[in-house]
Amino acid sequence: MRELGRIFSRRRLALGLILILLLNGFLFAREQVKNDYGLDVSLPAGGTIILNGEYSVTQETVDAGSAYRRYLQWIRRVRDMPAADAEAYLAGQEEALSSALFDSGEPAEGDGEARLDYVAVRNLLAQTEYLTGYGQWLENIQRNKENLLTFSIFSDPKSFSGRNILKTAEEFEKLRGVELTLGADGAVESFMSFRLTDYFLLLALLLVALSFLEERKAGLWSVVHAAPNGRLRLAIRRTLILLGTSVVGVLLLCGTDLALGFSLYGGVGDLDRAVQSVEALGRLPMLTTVGGFLIRFLLLRVAAAFLVSLLLWLMLTAINNVKYTVIVAAGVLAVEYSLYTFLPVQSAFNILKYFNLFTYISLSDLYTNYLNIDIFTYPLGIRSISQLALVPLCLLLTAICVYVHCRKKPAAGRDLLGRVAYRLNSVTDRLLRRLHLMGMELHKTLWIQKGVVIAALLVYVVLGLNYTVSIPIMSSAEQAARQYTAQFAGEITEGTFDRMDAEQAELDAVIAARDQAQADFDNGLIEYPLLDKYSREAAAAQTKSEGLSTVRARAQELRRRGAAEGFTPWLVDETPFESVYGAYAQANQQRAALVAVLALTLLLAGSMAYERQSGMTYLLRSTARGRGALILRKLLLAAAMTTLVWAAVYGMEVYTLLSEFDIPASAPAKNLSMLTEFPLNCPVALWLALLYAYRWLSLFCCAVMVLFLSDCARRLEAATVAASAAMLIPSVLYAYMDIGVFRPLSVVLPVAAMPLCLDAKGAVTGAALAAAALLAAASAAAACLFARAGGTQARDFLPGKAPQGFSGK
Amino acid sequence: MKLELLDLTKRYGNFTALDHVNITFTEGIYGILGANGAGKSTMMNLLTDNIPRTEGQILFDGTDILKLGRDFRRVLGYMPQQQGCYEQMTAQTFLSYMADLKAIPKKQAREEIERLLEVTNLSDARHKKLGGYSGGMKQRVLLAQALLGDPKVVILDEPTAGLDPKERIRIRSFISSLSRGRIILLATHIVSDIESISDQIFMMKKGRVVGMDRPDRLIERVAQEVRESVVPGHFSLEDVYLYYLGE
Repeated sequence: MRELGRIFSRRRLALGLILILLLNGFLFAREQVKNDYGLDVSLPAGGTIILNGEYSVTQETVDAGSAYRRYLQWIRRVRDMPAADAEAYLAGQEEALSSALFDSGEPAEGDGEARLDYVAVRNLLAQTEYLTGYGQWLENIQRNKENLLTFSIFSDPKSFSGRNILKTAEEFEKLRGVELTLGADGAVESFMSFRLTDYFLLLALLLVALSFLEERKAGLWSVVHAAPNGRLRLAIRRTLILLGTSVVGVLLLCGTDLALGFSLYGGVGDLDRAVQSVEALGRLPMLTTVGGFLIRFLLLRVAAAFLVSLLLWLMLTAINNVKYTVIVAAGVLAVEYSLYTFLPVQSAFNILKYFNLFTYISLSDLYTNYLNIDIFTYPLGIRSISQLALVPLCLLLTAICVYVHCRKKPAAGRDLLGRVAYRLNSVTDRLLRRLHLMGMELHKTLWIQKGVVIAALLVYVVLGLNYTVSIPIMSSAEQAARQYTAQFAGEITEGTFDRMDAEQAELDAVIAARDQAQADFDNGLIEYPLLDKYSREAAAAQTKSEGLSTVRARAQELRRRGAAEGFTPWLVDETPFESVYGAYAQANQQRAALVAVLALTLLLAGSMAYERQSGMTYLLRSTARGRGALILRKLLLAAAMTTLVWAAVYGMEVYTLLSEFDIPASAPAKNLSMLTEFPLNCPVALWLALLYAYRWLSLFCCAVMVLFLSDCARRLEAATVAASAAMLIPSVLYAYMDIGVFRPLSVVLPVAAMPLCLDAKGAVTGAALAAAALLAAASAAAACLFARAGGTQARDFLPGKAPQGFSGK
Repeated sequence: MKLELLDLTKRYGNFTALDHVNITFTEGIYGILGANGAGKSTMMNLLTDNIPRTEGQILFDGTDILKLGRDFRRVLGYMPQQQGCYEQMTAQTFLSYMADLKAIPKKQAREEIERLLEVTNLSDARHKKLGGYSGGMKQRVLLAQALLGDPKVVILDEPTAGLDPKERIRIRSFISSLSRGRIILLATHIVSDIESISDQIFMMKKGRVVGMDRPDRLIERVAQEVRESVVPGHFSLEDVYLYYLGE
C-alpha cells in the first residue's frame, strides 16, 4: 500500500493521468464530430464558390449531427423488418428522395429535411447491403475453398496456401446461418477504431513504470535494494500495481470511449445481436453477441495492457542508468512501432509485424482483420496465437521482471551505453567549446531544456493550422462583382471605365435580345425553347450587370478617395485579404497567435528558472559577464526564439498567401476596404511588412515578459505553469469564451494585430495603444531583469530559501 | 593588493548575521573558521555582492567593490558552498561556459581548462555529464571553475567538503601553491583544511570575528590561556577552535 501511495501521491503523475483521461474523452468526442458520426454526409450535387476570380467546385454536405438523428429515426422505422425487405424499402426511398432532390435542378422549400433523409437512407442502405450480403460472403469462402483447391497451384493441401484456404473455410463454417440484425453500431465501431486510446493507455502505463525509477533518480536505489523488503516484496508489489493500473486504466479509458460512444450514437442498443452485425467485426470468426464480445475484448485488453506494462518495466529496469534506460525504451518502442506500421503484410519478415509489442497495444486490429501467417507452411491465426500467448507471456514476464528487479545490482560498473555516451559527449564537447555565451544560451534552451521538442511540435501544429477561410458569397450578383473585380483589377484609369462600358454594352445587348425574342415568340416567329434560352442568358446578364454596377461604383469611389487623399486608385481583388486577414478569418488569426504565444512561452519559461533550479545563480553573478551581459544574452535569446516562432507561424501564413493568391504588392493599401482608414499612404507590400513587423514586436514583448515570469520562479515546472497561465488564460477567456473584461490582458490580440484594426477600417489607434502597453510592460520586465541581476535581492533569503550558513534564527 | 572589510554588517530582520566586521586581507591564504551559522557564508556572499550589505564597505585596492562592479568580478574566483551546476553539461562544457562568463579568451580558456582538469583529477571524466558526478567530483569541478582566469581574489566556501582524504590533501596542496600574488579566502568548519596552509586564521562566532592570527600564534596564545588544563605538546588548532567557538 505504501508503494502504491508513494507512486500515485506524486502530483505530476496524478495530474498526468487525469490529463490523459480528460484528453482521451475530449479527443474521442471530437473525432466523432470530425468524422460526421461515421456517416457519409456528402450530396451528389456540387456547389460553386468564387476564389480569386476563378470558380471551383466543392462537395455539398449536410449537417452531420442532424443527419445522424435522422439516421436513428430511419433505423427505428426499418429495424424490425427482415434485412432483405429493409434493403428493398430503403433502396426505393433513396431513389425517390434522389429524384425529388436532384432531378429538378432548382432547390425547393423543404429540401433541407429531404437532404437529411437522403443522407440517412443512403447510409442505412449501405449498412443493410452489408447485412444481406454477409451470408453470400460466407458462402463465397466455402465455395472458394472448393474452387481454389481444384487449381493446381493451390491443390497441394500441404502448402501454406492450401492449408490457409482450408483453415479459413473451417473457421468461418461455424458462422453459417448466423443471423445479422440492423442496429446503430456507431458506438462499437468508433470504440474499435479510435486508436488514440491505445496510445493513451500506453502512456499511462509508461508513466507508472517510469515512477519505479524514482529511487534511482533520487540516488536511493542502493538504500532500497539493501532494505529487507526492497527486493522480492517490492517487485511483487510493483507487479500488482501494474496489474491494478492495467485494470483501472482499461476501465477508465475504454469505459470513457464506450460511454461517450453510447451517448453520442443513440444509446446502448441491442447488445444481444450477433457480433458480425457490426461491419467492423464482420471478419471475426467467433459466435458471440456484441455484448459478449465487448466483455471478452475488455478482459483481453486488461491482460494485454498488463503484458505491455511488464515489458515496459523490464525495459526500464534492465539498464542501470536512468537516462539511457529511457532512451533505450523509446528506441525499442520506435522500432516496434515502425515494424508494426510499415512492414508490408507480404514481407518474409511479417512475423516481426505481428509478434510485436504493438499487436497488444493496438488490440482491436486482431478483431477487425482476419489473417493467418505462414509458419513452416502452417497457417497460424494472428488472433488465436496472440490470445493464447497472452496469459503465459504475462506469467513469464512477471517472473522475469521480478527476477531482474531482485538481481539487478545498483552499484554495477559502467555499462556499454555509458561508454557510448561518453564518446558522443566528447564530440559534442568539441563543438560546444567553440560556442560563445549566446551560443550556449541557445544550447541550454534548445537542447538541455528540450526546446527542440517544442520547436518540432510547433512545426507539426503549424502544418495543421488553417490560414485561409472561404468567403461566403451571398448572391449571384456578389459573385459576379467579385469576378469583375478580378477581371478589371489594376490601376483605375479611364481605360478601366471604357472596358466596363464595353462589358456593359455586351450585357445590355443580351438583355435586349431577350426582349426581342419575347416579341418574336409572341408573334409566333420562334419556339419556346429558344425563348427560354434567351431568357436564361438575359437573367444571367442581368445578374452580371448588377455585379458590374457594384464594381463601377467601387471604382468611382476609389477614384474620388484617391484624389482626395492622395493615393493612386486601384481596383483590388480583396478575396485574398479577406480570406487571410478579414473578419471571417479572425478565428484563424487568433488561433495562430495563440499557438505562437504558447510556443514562445514553453520555449522561454525555463530560461531563467533553470539557473535558479540548478543552483547557479550565485556563481553566475560572481562572474564578470554573469549579470548585465548574461541578461542581455537572455534578451537576445528571446529575440531569437521570437524570430523562430514568428517565422514558423507567420512564414506559413505568408507562404499560403503568396502561393494561393496573386497579391497586387504595389497597389496602394488604402484601396482595400479593410484599410480605408490606414494612416500611411503605402503599397500593399509595405503594409504587409509593417503588419508582420508589428506581430514580431508583440511576440518579442511577450517573450520578455515570459523571461521576467521565469525569473520569478525557482523551478522549471512552476515557471512554465505561471508563464503559461499569465500569457494564455486571459487570451483564451477573451477569444474563446468571449469574456470582455479580459480583452485588455489578452496578448493574443496585439500578436494577431488585425483584430485591433478591422473594426476601425485599418485605423491604427487601437494597435498603437496595445503596442505602447506591451512595450511598457516589456520594458519594465527587462528593467526588472537587469535590476535583479545587478546583485542583491533580499527575496533570495525569504523563509525557506536561506543560504547555507545562515541559521535563520 | 588589498581587500578591506570596513564595519561590514548584515542583518536579516532582527537577526544580525555579520556584525561590524573589520578585516584587511593582503596577499596570502586566509582561513575563516566558524560553526554553521557563524556568518562565514554571509561574508562570502557579501564579498561576491550576491546579497546586499546593511552597513559598511568592502574596498578592493581602496575602491568599493560595488563601484568596481564588473572590474572586481574579473579578478574574482568564487566557489559557492552549494553544489549548484548544470547537471546536463559535461565538465568540459561547463568549464568552457564558465570561462566565457569570465570573459577569458577561447585559446587561454582551453589551456586553463586542460590544466585545471588535470589538477583536480577530472581529466578522465571530463566528458561525463555533471549529473552523473559524485559529490566530491562536483566539488572539484566547482573548484576548477573558481580558478579559471587566474583570479586575484579567490573565495572558497567549504572547498573540501565531500572529498576523500587523498583528494583533500591534493586540493589543499594545490590551493597552497596558488597563494603567491593572490588573496585566498577559505571558509570552512573543518580545522585540518586550513591548519597547514593558512597564513592567518579568523575565528567567527555569531557574526563577529572573535579571534584572528597566524595558526601557530593562535595555538600559542590559547595554550597560554588554558595551559593548566592542557597536556604540553598536544595542543592543536582544533583546541583553539573549541576554545573560541565551543559552547
